[in-house]
Amino acid sequence: MKRKLSLLLMTALLATTLAACTSSSGGDASTTPAETSNAASEEKTQEADEAPADTGTTQEAEVAETEADELEGEITFWHSFTQGPRMENIQAAAEAFMTDHPKVKINIETYSWGDFYTKWTTGLASGNVPDMSTARAGEVVEMINADAILPLDDLIDSIGRARFYESPIQEMTYSDGNCYAVPIYSHAFVMWYRKDLLEKYNLEVPKTWDEFNEAATAITQGENGEVYGCSVPMGTNDLYATCFLDTYVGSNRESLITQDRKPNLTSPTALEGIQYWVDMYKNNSPADSINFNTLDQATLYYQGKNAFDFNSGFHISGVEANTPELLDYIDCAPVPTINGDGNPDYIVNNMPMVVWKNSAHPEICKAFIEYFYEPDNYIPFLHSVPVGMMPALKEITNDPAFLNNDTIKKYQNAMETISDALSHGTYIAMEYGPCVEAGILANQRVIENMFQDIVLNGTPVEEAAQAAEEQLLELFSAAE
Amino acid sequence: MRGNKKMIASMTSWFFVLPAILVVVLLMLYPVTSSIFYSFTNKNLIKADFRMIGLDNYKAILSDKSFWTAFVTNLKWTAISLAGQLFVGFTAALALNRIKRGSGIYRTLLIIPWAFPSIVLAFSWKWILNGVSGFLPNILVKLGICETAPQFLSSAELAFPTLVFLNIWFGAPLMMVNILSALQTVPQDQYESAQLDGASGIQSFCHITFPHIRMVVGLLVVLRTIWVFNSFDIIYLITGGGPGNKTMTVPIYAYDTGWGMRMLGKSSAVTVLLLLFLLLVCSLYFRLLNRWEKESTS
Amino acid sequence: MKKGKLLRRARPGTIISYVYLTVLSLVAVFPLLWILLSSVKPKGELTQNPTAILPSSVTWENFKTVFQQLNFGTNVRNSVIIAGSTTLIAIIIASLGAYGVVRFFPRFGKFMTRILITTYMFPPILLAVPYAIIMGRIGLMNNRAGLVIVYLSITVPYALWLLVGFVHTVPLEIEEAARVDGANKIQVFYKVVLPIMAPGIVAVAIYTFINVWNEFLYSLIMMNSTEKMTIAVALKSLTGQEVLDWGVMMAASTVVVLPSVIFFMLIQKKIAGGLAQGAVKS
Repeated sequence: MKRKLSLLLMTALLATTLAACTSSSGGDASTTPAETSNAASEEKTQEADEAPADTGTTQEAEVAETEADELEGEITFWHSFTQGPRMENIQAAAEAFMTDHPKVKINIETYSWGDFYTKWTTGLASGNVPDMSTARAGEVVEMINADAILPLDDLIDSIGRARFYESPIQEMTYSDGNCYAVPIYSHAFVMWYRKDLLEKYNLEVPKTWDEFNEAATAITQGENGEVYGCSVPMGTNDLYATCFLDTYVGSNRESLITQDRKPNLTSPTALEGIQYWVDMYKNNSPADSINFNTLDQATLYYQGKNAFDFNSGFHISGVEANTPELLDYIDCAPVPTINGDGNPDYIVNNMPMVVWKNSAHPEICKAFIEYFYEPDNYIPFLHSVPVGMMPALKEITNDPAFLNNDTIKKYQNAMETISDALSHGTYIAMEYGPCVEAGILANQRVIENMFQDIVLNGTPVEEAAQAAEEQLLELFSAAE
Repeated sequence: MRGNKKMIASMTSWFFVLPAILVVVLLMLYPVTSSIFYSFTNKNLIKADFRMIGLDNYKAILSDKSFWTAFVTNLKWTAISLAGQLFVGFTAALALNRIKRGSGIYRTLLIIPWAFPSIVLAFSWKWILNGVSGFLPNILVKLGICETAPQFLSSAELAFPTLVFLNIWFGAPLMMVNILSALQTVPQDQYESAQLDGASGIQSFCHITFPHIRMVVGLLVVLRTIWVFNSFDIIYLITGGGPGNKTMTVPIYAYDTGWGMRMLGKSSAVTVLLLLFLLLVCSLYFRLLNRWEKESTS
Repeated sequence: MKKGKLLRRARPGTIISYVYLTVLSLVAVFPLLWILLSSVKPKGELTQNPTAILPSSVTWENFKTVFQQLNFGTNVRNSVIIAGSTTLIAIIIASLGAYGVVRFFPRFGKFMTRILITTYMFPPILLAVPYAIIMGRIGLMNNRAGLVIVYLSITVPYALWLLVGFVHTVPLEIEEAARVDGANKIQVFYKVVLPIMAPGIVAVAIYTFINVWNEFLYSLIMMNSTEKMTIAVALKSLTGQEVLDWGVMMAASTVVVLPSVIFFMLIQKKIAGGLAQGAVKS
């Protein structure tokens, strides 16, 4: 026993000394360069505050720049635009920026949304986050709460606050009055349908949820499994059931959250909405959709196997990539409403870009973002998913260069529908401003689990909604 | 002089074991102790400040119905998968041991599943079983075996059995290969003399084959119990615990708690409980193995 | 005469064996076959005609995407480097350790192997966050060496534990004879013990390599740069694309799984020897 103990002690002692050695030597090696560049950048940030305004915007400014004003350093930029053209556009912009600023290096990494989430949360614990990144709207408040990102008001003012649409900026302005993100584009969830199928079954574009149900049912029955009326995605690895429910509730201009930030799944409209989608799932959706995430759901529409879907203008490029022969038959329309008054609130997603507090070079991030908004970079970026990404800057919306795109011209109606939707809505549960609760409601899969529970276990809607509400309440209070 | 030599000798002895001790202690000590420590705190994954909350995490978990559901699912997952892997592995090994021609080919084909990284396993089977355009559901309908396409991964009844099947598919080759090579170490003359004594096939299996290979089987069962019990990849990548938590095991529950809800403290407590349970199970196993070992040496 | 009797008795059992093995082989091979076939089918055919087994025409488009656009070659190389060096280091440490524990610290050895098997029980998820924190602190995040270190912690205990069994198979007399001839401990280990343990070491090395090659969670958490990612994570990132392309996914899967399968076929005899010997003789 004694021997065991002494052995243990010895190993422990050895371990600690060795640990101390490695950490100090490793620390030295890694911090020295970082520290020096840190110190250098600190000096620079003061000047850099006004520097972004003249870097890269005008040629003369660049010439006039003194050595000290020149941007220098390496930044890492994580984004989730894994799709080819968008990725290439960002890469091209970064390369052009690096040519203008030879001492700057921008490392770009792309992650799918799910992986990005795992990475930034774990990264925050280990001090391993990027300098700048995209984010999901629901996550920004969490990042603020974790004291992880920087206010970007100086950047917004430098670009010109008035040039941005007001609502995205408002949505990203936290209760402390600072705005922590810039919108790089916007999109809204509208109703996508298939013109050919509506024609085939002699249907009008539905304006109420009842009409929608009739149309979906007619198509499901008529197509006999070849095409589904409306797939209802309920996968717990994504937030799509929440989107569908929020679309229904929003169509009645209500919210999944109350003004005092409590979950609101048991309001008459919410209960009605849950029942509506459960019925829709049972009657008009492939059984597999209970596991569907965004991509599974969208792919079904891309392949022409889903007649109705709720999503953004990304559907056009998806169909183009999968079944181009359907391109003439797709279009979108406003979301149905309960009584057909045609005045719904939409899910609007303003894609945020954030700068991380850990960054040694926020000035480079900001300068790059500003550079990115220049029409020469920004318009090609928006054109990489035409109609899918709507400009966050007002003047671009009417810029002939932006409008001069075949897809944008072809889908005039979709452009107008989505543009109109953008001004009538917020991100999920952000009707009363950005809050952690909205992020939890959207991202914790409570609503998806609730739907699965109803479908698989036959739990009554009211009971399941009540249970989900309680679970959310618990999560809300745990987040405080 | 002699003392010096002895010291050198003992130093060389240490030279052998020190690297291993260092790896284990250095690499495990911090993560494990910090996990145990976090399990008594309310640590949030993305926030720096936390405080000690005693046994609250444990209390919360043990009184959470879905934890117990996950635990039961985990037990079923481990037991059925292991039994299946062992059965398929054992019978395949016996069959391979029996045949003369083509055993090399069969063996090569049968170990293929083992070469599948879990991510490829997930991709390929998800694609084969895809409810809309997967091969298997569609061919079953086409052949008239099923009326509508069976939802292997999305129905409440089929999702769990399907995952267990995939786990057996993946794990059986390892069992087979090891049992087969153990079978080949059984001295042939024992069989022959047993046969001369008029022993039946089953009798010679019970009295010669099994005692001879049970150490291997026992060891395999221990290793695979731990592995399967802790396995995360396959379930996470295929169903993520759904639908309706039907395939939720404790590691998935821990992941959801730690990352999904960011309650790192609570998820640490979950994994500590998992560890305690495994320790208990394995000490029972080892007791059995020790007994077998003693029997075979005496 | 005896031989004839054996054959006659074996016949029905042998037929059943062949039938059983054929069925099992079909189930075992089908997914591989399906990946291969799906990866060369032209776009659209995958979803339009799910039950067609053979492609109407063969296309290499998907593979082009995998290698040119997604640059999978780099990820394959990373996985080989990481899995290879982890295996090498782990095996060296573990075989030294296994031998040392058995020969020089027999009493402590039992205690140590208990500890080892316990560490093997730690759920990987339990350790993920602490590893991320510690690697972040010593600056080894997003670093292949860092990932190798983390992998050592999950492979060494397991390898050592398996190898202890093999050390027991080495007859003490041979070692003593060598000692009498004047060899020191290290020479004995290197010249006498190692060759005897070789089959076991190879088997354990293969297990280690496979486990690391397949590992997913740590690799996802620790690697940030695409050019440093392992193949498992690079593959996973395909599902996060905005367009779900089963053809490309199947082509990428082929790229990952085909080398593994060939590797397995080549080394299958070696794995077979593996665990069993150590276990039987320990």
